[in-house]
Amino acid sequence: MKTGLINHMLLICQFELKRLFATRKGWLYLATYIIVWYFILFYPIRYAADLLDRQRSSAHAGSFFEFLGFGSLLDWAIPAFGVYWQFALIFFPIMSVVIAADQTCSDRQRGTLRFLALRVSRDALFFGRYFSYLVIQFLLILLTLSATFLLVIFRDVSLFSVAINNASSILINLFLVILPFTAMMAALSVTVKSARQATVWAVLIWSFLAGIISLLSSYLPVLGMLKVLIPGYQLSQLAQLSEWEALQIAYIPVLQSLILLAIGRWIMQRQAL
Amino acid sequence: MSEPIIQCQSVSHSYSGKLALKQVSFDITPGEPIGLVGPNGAGKTTLLSILCGFLKPSSGSVSIFGYKPGDSRLCGRISALPQDAWFDPAFTIGEQLVLLARLQGFGTDQAKQEAERVLDAVALKDSWSAKPDTLSHGMAKRVAIAQALIGSPELILLDEPTAGLDPVNTRNIRSIIMEQAKYSTFFISSHDLPELGRVCQKVLLLENGVMSPMQHNVAETEGSTGFITLQMEACAADELMKALQELKGVIQVSNPQKNEFLVEYLPEKAPQMDIEILTCLAKCHWHYRQLTRGKSLEEKLFFTD
Repeated sequence: MKTGLINHMLLICQFELKRLFATRKGWLYLATYIIVWYFILFYPIRYAADLLDRQRSSAHAGSFFEFLGFGSLLDWAIPAFGVYWQFALIFFPIMSVVIAADQTCSDRQRGTLRFLALRVSRDALFFGRYFSYLVIQFLLILLTLSATFLLVIFRDVSLFSVAINNASSILINLFLVILPFTAMMAALSVTVKSARQATVWAVLIWSFLAGIISLLSSYLPVLGMLKVLIPGYQLSQLAQLSEWEALQIAYIPVLQSLILLAIGRWIMQRQAL
Repeated sequence: MSEPIIQCQSVSHSYSGKLALKQVSFDITPGEPIGLVGPNGAGKTTLLSILCGFLKPSSGSVSIFGYKPGDSRLCGRISALPQDAWFDPAFTIGEQLVLLARLQGFGTDQAKQEAERVLDAVALKDSWSAKPDTLSHGMAKRVAIAQALIGSPELILLDEPTAGLDPVNTRNIRSIIMEQAKYSTFFISSHDLPELGRVCQKVLLLENGVMSPMQHNVAETEGSTGFITLQMEACAADELMKALQELKGVIQVSNPQKNEFLVEYLPEKAPQMDIEILTCLAKCHWHYRQLTRGKSLEEKLFFTD
């Protein structure tokens, strides 16, 4: 009856998915998410995409969008995906901080983690929960991306293959974007007592760490490199890249995630349950 | 003699500089249930948390079946009823017990059967579909005990298993422990001394983080003298003590609590001291409530000279 780390992680992941798709609280989250994205898709994204389509033929379009800081929108083969990409780069990191805040903290406070820790290793618990929240967010991204995809091909079915290509690049890139945010929340969740505390700490880290590093780097310039460790450091660069180009800086979120997960695991191994 | 299943050597633990356990050392061999008693703040829960792997000791070493607590090789061999641990309110009791059984290595169908079995053992089969926040304190405690029984582990650690339970459920838990003790070794921390006296053959005493060097054997007589604990209906204590003192073989009679008397005697001089005492009571028309051979556990642990 020996079961391994992978099997334990899969079981934990399965149970967390059940939390989203088979509990009343999960349905409430899903309904809210769908409503929010309904408005984002049918108003900002659709109208912005229409505007881009119309402006594309204009000689001044490039300079107009460059002036607004959205010049890269014109690089997208399908404007709707370009607009989606810009929205998603803001929306999903924030969603990640909120949704992944309670990976282990409330279970630890309630003592539920003790029942689990008697049966699985702390690694299985920590990484099992981390991967669960990644899968959940992947599915949520897939849901909105599919809706955008349908919106595009309903208007012009000839864009089917380009849309598949665009959607795939966004799916992979957004998944990479949320990796370090989810890892940061995993590390915070093993440290703090509640999801609210984890969110507050995430906002503080996000907001002030860059400032502190900038201050320190004015004395010792080499410390400026530490900014690369802040989740979301690459987001402004990503906003200027389109489709598969964004993978050029995929190493940044992967590196951030590995470091944050190592920190989280270190805390989890030493944490009293 | 069988190999110890728990070995603690010089285990110390401190919370923010305050020492909760001081150089605790003991061994536990498989067999009859073993109790752990001590006043509030003695370090019982800390010790059990260390044995379960929830807490790392500040110093010293702990070995369970030859592994460190928390080692994945202990999965399925050890289980526990942790203090103040509650189930996730988002899922039903059945769903959570099935998950725990699956994590313990049971297949999907077996896990469901095992979850049903343990829930049935604590007389809560009807609560399969209940959410944890709809259960009373006693029911939640029984569900927590049920999870400790999943897979019949070799070692079960129970932290205050009967705290907050009514007499019927206390009795129910006692019979579950007695039944399961054929297959598992129980290590039970409790304040309920009469209950521990009924269930455990050996008791460890932890006071101020220090483990008493003696393992108290509940049934054993102490040295060459024997003891009888007598609980009486309301009576004249002085007269009764005088009458008992006059019996042949009695060394001394004490009155530790109101209407409770402890008779120390020489068994070789009075092998049937219980009969002698009953005869004396009948002759004087005194009514007793209970007569027990040996000292009560409370007397043994806390009031021995």
